Amino acid sequence: MNILTLPIVGTLARWRYVRPALQLVLLFAAAAVVLHGLFGPQLGPRNLATVLTSIHWRGLLIIAIAAAGNLFCTACPMVLARDGARHILHPKLRWPRWLRGKWLGMALLVLVLFSYELFDLWSHPRATAWLVLGYFGLAILVDVLFTGASFCKHLCPIGQFNFMASTMAPTELRVSDLNTCRTCKTSDCIKGRYSTTEPKRLERRGCELGLFLPLKVGNLDCTMCLDCVHACPHDNIALETRVPGAELLETGRRSGIGRLLRRIDVATLALVFTFAAFLNAFAMTSPAYVVEQRVAEMIGVRSEAPALALVFLLGLVVLPGLLLGAAAVLTWAFDRARAHSLQATFVRYAYALVPVGFGMWLAHYGFHLFTGVFAVVPVVQSALVDAFGQPLLGQPLWGWVGLQPGTVFPIQLGCVMLGAAGSIGLVQAISRREYPAAPNVASAPWLVLVALLLTTAAWILAQPMEMRAVSFIG
Amino acid sequence: MRVAPRDRCRVLTVVLLLASALTGGSVACRREADPSNNIRVSWALDPSPPVSGAPMVVTLTLRDSAQRPVVGAHLRLEGVMSHPGMAPVSAMLMERGDGRYDAQMQFTMAGDWTLLVTGELPGGAPLKKQIDIAGVRAAS
Repeated sequence: MNILTLPIVGTLARWRYVRPALQLVLLFAAAAVVLHGLFGPQLGPRNLATVLTSIHWRGLLIIAIAAAGNLFCTACPMVLARDGARHILHPKLRWPRWLRGKWLGMALLVLVLFSYELFDLWSHPRATAWLVLGYFGLAILVDVLFTGASFCKHLCPIGQFNFMASTMAPTELRVSDLNTCRTCKTSDCIKGRYSTTEPKRLERRGCELGLFLPLKVGNLDCTMCLDCVHACPHDNIALETRVPGAELLETGRRSGIGRLLRRIDVATLALVFTFAAFLNAFAMTSPAYVVEQRVAEMIGVRSEAPALALVFLLGLVVLPGLLLGAAAVLTWAFDRARAHSLQATFVRYAYALVPVGFGMWLAHYGFHLFTGVFAVVPVVQSALVDAFGQPLLGQPLWGWVGLQPGTVFPIQLGCVMLGAAGSIGLVQAISRREYPAAPNVASAPWLVLVALLLTTAAWILAQPMEMRAVSFIG
Repeated sequence: MRVAPRDRCRVLTVVLLLASALTGGSVACRREADPSNNIRVSWALDPSPPVSGAPMVVTLTLRDSAQRPVVGAHLRLEGVMSHPGMAPVSAMLMERGDGRYDAQMQFTMAGDWTLLVTGELPGGAPLKKQIDIAGVRAAS
């Protein structure tokens, strides 16, 4: 089904200014986060900077991807800011070839997750405000120097997270009719549409992330900006519904990406995405502090940074390496024909874990959203009292929070179980494709791994929550 | 409809001004003299450190700048988790004489909490204090 042909939603999505309108909403929210973060009360639960980012932005982002698509990249206010900056400074440089790929963006993603834990950003409004300002500054700086959407494609850590998560989205932008593309002489979807009169002027920009629509497969690197929809002179781009995760089985060449099975960086991003979901959720439980303190005692330190760094190293490198390595060795050993190398086996199945990782992100961020969705109401009421000295929206209702944590637990379990079911389906499909003679034998180690991840997810979600912001050792 | 770059700048300016009005104005309002500054609040918890899910008693002792006990204050205690979105807990503080006030409350989860003391001093002046409680233990 093409969403763009639906009444109301389709009309709205086709409206040329839908993106700037959404971006303005998030720009307003970002301005509120920065101003309240810098000048408002420095208590996490009483400040818009920490409430909006920790509860609403993260939760709505992942739920939007699960329900519709990569809407938060669509509405990214940093692209609006850099578009404004590009009216003054025009980028001339191309992003260096040696910096292309996902390594840099992935490293920044890990750095953001690490900083969130180390500096307890959920409880520091001013630090959150500076992080948002820094993010805007970096995005603008990169994109006034380098052409296209260099920041989005190569650097943005949230973007890399969204790209991987949106492989699980139920929609995808793709061409409606390939025959129309075969007769197209202008390729406006990637080059942009120019005026017919001299001097030629760009009227609609094409895909800034280098995705040529006739060869585009899936949502990787797609910000759902809808530029291609507006640029195509043949009205040949559709926002189609699809089976979430099925694109991870596509082995053909993708525009802007290449072949997924040859992209070690993208496969590594898939693993970081998956295991970071577990690490990020684990970090908010009581056992996490016991582990962190044991690690600190083991290496003889009293500061959090080295202990946390070691926990991250174990959770994102050592553990995934051991688990996937063991599964890959078993599958490789079972395959007497040696159809694939050990590394190729590892990469092929790495993508199969994305659904269970997505389920864990959904369970974790959905928990915070459902249990704290109304927390923004008293914070806004309080901000108005502070700003105008009058309770314009009434006295702050601090008791307004959200659902009881216990009531959300079944929903969380449902999320990770659905994710695990998706991973099982992908493992089976990969095995049937790669090892048609004995797919069940090839699948066995990976199914055990998915079961292990599901069990771990259920254990983490059942742990008592413990959020620390000022104390570490002792 | 085409929007000129200058108009776009105006829209952005309006957005930023609106956000400033909503949040930035609080800075000016909070620069008034705070009578709480003349009151010294010391506190004790029983048990210490507290355990989540178990009752505890918070005792506050209020002294003025001359170290005299502050009697007759009406005080409320609210506990908030360091992470946003968690349900707060609250209690009224009962006066026990000699500037001491206490309340029984129960933290709902382990981790770091902040106690907010609000209320009125005997002369009607407001009192606001913040007490950070680190490391509330998980119930074993």
